[in-house]
Amino acid sequence: MQTYSSSTTTLEDAGASRTQVKEHIQSLVDALNGVLLGKEQQIKLALACIFARGHLLIEDLPGMGKTLLSHALAKTLGLSYNRIQFTSDVLPSDIIGATIFDKQTNAFRFVEGPLFAQVVLADEINRATPKSQSALLEAMEERQVTTDGESLPLPEPFFVIATQNPSTQAGTFPLPESQLDRFLMRIELGYPEPAAERELLLNGDRRVVAEQLQALLNLSELRQIQAAVDAIKVSEPLVDYVQRLVAFSRQGTEFAFGLSPRGALALMQSAKSWALLHNRSHVVPEDVQAILPSVVEHRLRESADFAGHGGGALAQKLLGSVDVVS
Amino acid sequence: MASAADSLSVGIAYQIPRNSLMLLMVSQVVVVLPLIVHISPWIVAVCLICGYWRSGVYQGRWGYPSGLVKTLLVIGAVAGIAFSGYGSFSLEAATSLLVLAFALKLVEMKNRRDAYLVIYLCYFLIATAFLFDQSMALTAYEVLAAVVVTAAMVGMNQMQSRVRPLASLKIAAALIAQALPLTLVLFLFFPRVAPLWSIPMPSAATTGISDKITPGDVANLTQSDELAFRAVFDEAVPAQRDLYWRGLVYSEFRFGTWAVAEPLDALDPLDIEEASADSPERIGYEVFLEPTQSKWLFSLDTPVAYGGRIDLLGDYRLLNAEPVLSVLRYRLASDPNFTMDAELSDAIRARETELPPQDNPRLREYAQALYAQTGSAQAMVEAMLDEIRTGPYSYTLQPPVLPRLNSIDAFWFESRRGFCSHYAGTMVFALRAVGIPARMVGGYQGGEVNNVTGHVVVRQYQAHAWIEVWLPGQGWTRYDPTAAVAPARVENGLDAALSSEDRAVLSFLTSARFGGEGLLNSMLEFVDSLEHRWNLWVVGYDASTQSDLLSDLLGEVTPARVGMAILAGGGLCLVIVTLTLFLRRRPQPKHPAERLFQAFCNAMARQGHARGVDETPAAYIRRLARLAQLDAEPLVNRLQASLYDPEAASGGTDSRALRQDFRKLRFKLAFGTTGNAS
Repeated sequence: MQTYSSSTTTLEDAGASRTQVKEHIQSLVDALNGVLLGKEQQIKLALACIFARGHLLIEDLPGMGKTLLSHALAKTLGLSYNRIQFTSDVLPSDIIGATIFDKQTNAFRFVEGPLFAQVVLADEINRATPKSQSALLEAMEERQVTTDGESLPLPEPFFVIATQNPSTQAGTFPLPESQLDRFLMRIELGYPEPAAERELLLNGDRRVVAEQLQALLNLSELRQIQAAVDAIKVSEPLVDYVQRLVAFSRQGTEFAFGLSPRGALALMQSAKSWALLHNRSHVVPEDVQAILPSVVEHRLRESADFAGHGGGALAQKLLGSVDVVS
Repeated sequence: MASAADSLSVGIAYQIPRNSLMLLMVSQVVVVLPLIVHISPWIVAVCLICGYWRSGVYQGRWGYPSGLVKTLLVIGAVAGIAFSGYGSFSLEAATSLLVLAFALKLVEMKNRRDAYLVIYLCYFLIATAFLFDQSMALTAYEVLAAVVVTAAMVGMNQMQSRVRPLASLKIAAALIAQALPLTLVLFLFFPRVAPLWSIPMPSAATTGISDKITPGDVANLTQSDELAFRAVFDEAVPAQRDLYWRGLVYSEFRFGTWAVAEPLDALDPLDIEEASADSPERIGYEVFLEPTQSKWLFSLDTPVAYGGRIDLLGDYRLLNAEPVLSVLRYRLASDPNFTMDAELSDAIRARETELPPQDNPRLREYAQALYAQTGSAQAMVEAMLDEIRTGPYSYTLQPPVLPRLNSIDAFWFESRRGFCSHYAGTMVFALRAVGIPARMVGGYQGGEVNNVTGHVVVRQYQAHAWIEVWLPGQGWTRYDPTAAVAPARVENGLDAALSSEDRAVLSFLTSARFGGEGLLNSMLEFVDSLEHRWNLWVVGYDASTQSDLLSDLLGEVTPARVGMAILAGGGLCLVIVTLTLFLRRRPQPKHPAERLFQAFCNAMARQGHARGVDETPAAYIRRLARLAQLDAEPLVNRLQASLYDPEAASGGTDSRALRQDFRKLRFKLAFGTTGNAS
């Protein structure tokens, strides 16, 4: 496997920037921990996703702190952000923007929609109709939108942090596979630990804390971290492991379909990001195992239950069946 | 046959997968193809119609035939074969019936059982094709056909949704390839038992010398570049002019046609052997005769040692015990100085001077005058040869058509253009007209030496006729009038003697063979050498060569030893297949640290501390170290670095340190475990 090193980081200041990166990450994790109590694993996964330049999907029941986490992420990363509340009557033009007639200049003018921000919080994305959901498709993959036959670039960096309710909830339209595949990770928050919940109950709503959050990074620092992810090294035995995982998903009879090359790439990129979060210069199998459920669950279907969500069991099956060492 | 009610009850699970049906139909075409030349065209037509019908069923346009239609078809088919003019129990009739039934099965093939039946029939038809032909090309073709048929069978057993014809073909090819070594072992060692019942053999006409010869026939043979036989000489190949392959002796003349007379009794091989016992020169050679459907064999003058199943008749021609239906391999020794019939019996004298009373009066007159003038048989022969040499006679592949009566008169005095048999026939007639015993001999003259394997190839265009005259004291003596009219034919082969018009009528391949040094010629020569080796090693591998080989390999040949050899060979093949499968399934880890760690894991597994499938190296080492009450971290760091950090130095010191750490952990663990147990 070739090791990719960022051109912006020279060898001399690599050590210095390493410590910087480490400090930044630690401060981010600490700040977010203060908002969402007892969810360090999920917070790290969310950060790993952002550092790997991926879009994030947070799925859970209402009231679990999905929106809170996404807000806190956008704020601490110091990025411009817009929130789109998806409902069943949201139209694509409500997201992308629309061309309107300007009386003063006597010309048509494109008014940018909420999509034109560095972080787009797509709240309850699966409550929108497929038509509106698909307005996000191009934006997420190409990082541009096309309206009236014209392609407009989106801000750089561009992240979609979407939240959704489990599809079994009333009034939801399940996201199509093509769109799910564009999310690097899907995380679930889950109920808080008793101790964390106790603290929550004692100290009141965390939204106030979230309001007071400061931007902890600037743009160049975020880019530095992203470059550091790319510079994480990967060895032959580890690539073999990832390839065995992917091959198993393609050959196993339980899987309706295997992981796509994009899925394999996502696995590798997320593992690198996770390795960076844990202050390693190279990826170890533990990294792959840690991020694998979040990366593959929403990409897999059980062949026995094609329409359903068997992803969780399948991810465990993958982990339990594929040998770490060949 | 399944009835209509049956077909309704056929569950979906028993249906033929649609995709494998495609392969099945392809394999049917593939296995019938080599048989087409041996069966009537109408059967081929029936096959095509059935295929078309089946494709209609496949597309859902037509239905399967009803029971009544099927009954009528079967009756019609049997009647059709009965009236097709095959012999009652000929191989062609049996093959036709098989192919016909096979084609009809196509339209009633409904469930898996039918499809399996068709597949087994396919294999049977592959075997059937070898009854007609055992050439290398056919064998290669049938191996491929077996791959296609096996692919159809593989397709039958694949999941409905996952049938891909190309993948099935790949699996089938692998299966056949795995079977090949075992086939080879069985071919070499399996006892060649004589068949328990006789199989009717093919009776198709083949080109070649026949037992009747009308001048002009031999010229037609030169159109064919088909192989007559190959010969391998023990020592140097004799000169072209000495390669007279004697096959048939024509003693009867009637209406312009020379014919082989009633066969004479066989000579005693011991007498022959004795008569040539002190001969200084003997030519040893082996002949691989292509099927002729006849019993006669070809030999150089005069065969003195021949196998037990061959007879040497009174006119010194060889006769096989049964017709040659597949490539026949026989070994001969010829004595060129042998005297044939030093004393001539009255019966043979009468036989070899007999002529029809009326035919060719002019030649008779000419012969009597010539004999009166020359005085002796030898002088008369020389005079006639001289006449041919100096007279206005020419040698041509396209002689004019001669009348049935007085044909020799018409040739000798009028047309004067002819091929070898014209000249030979004329001379024999003239000699007999004055009472000198003479006969026409047919066979081949010459032969091309293949430069690759050094064997001699004789093709149909080398067919030739010459004469033998009985001279007192010298016995039967060979004279070749062609040598007088076209000396180049005998010295340098047919192409040297041909005029440009004659060359124009030759087939493309024949011309190419005459071309000499060209690329095509050397290619043809190479193909010929391959075919020769095939005949030598595969087709010619019969019970006697097998027992030679077995006694070379095993010493004394006993059933037990042969059985052991088959078992050992078969076992070896299985081991080879197993090994390849094993090595392919379990690729060795390439990374040195990974190999080291794997060995450590295996050793620990034997001690009862197997690594879980999803247990990472670090987690595993930590678990073991906890058990051994050792500090895991140095080893974990070293292992992680050498396994997963591409930048960490992976030199020899590193792996030595790893190995030491592993050993330490293992010993500690083994010691600690036993300590706890006691």
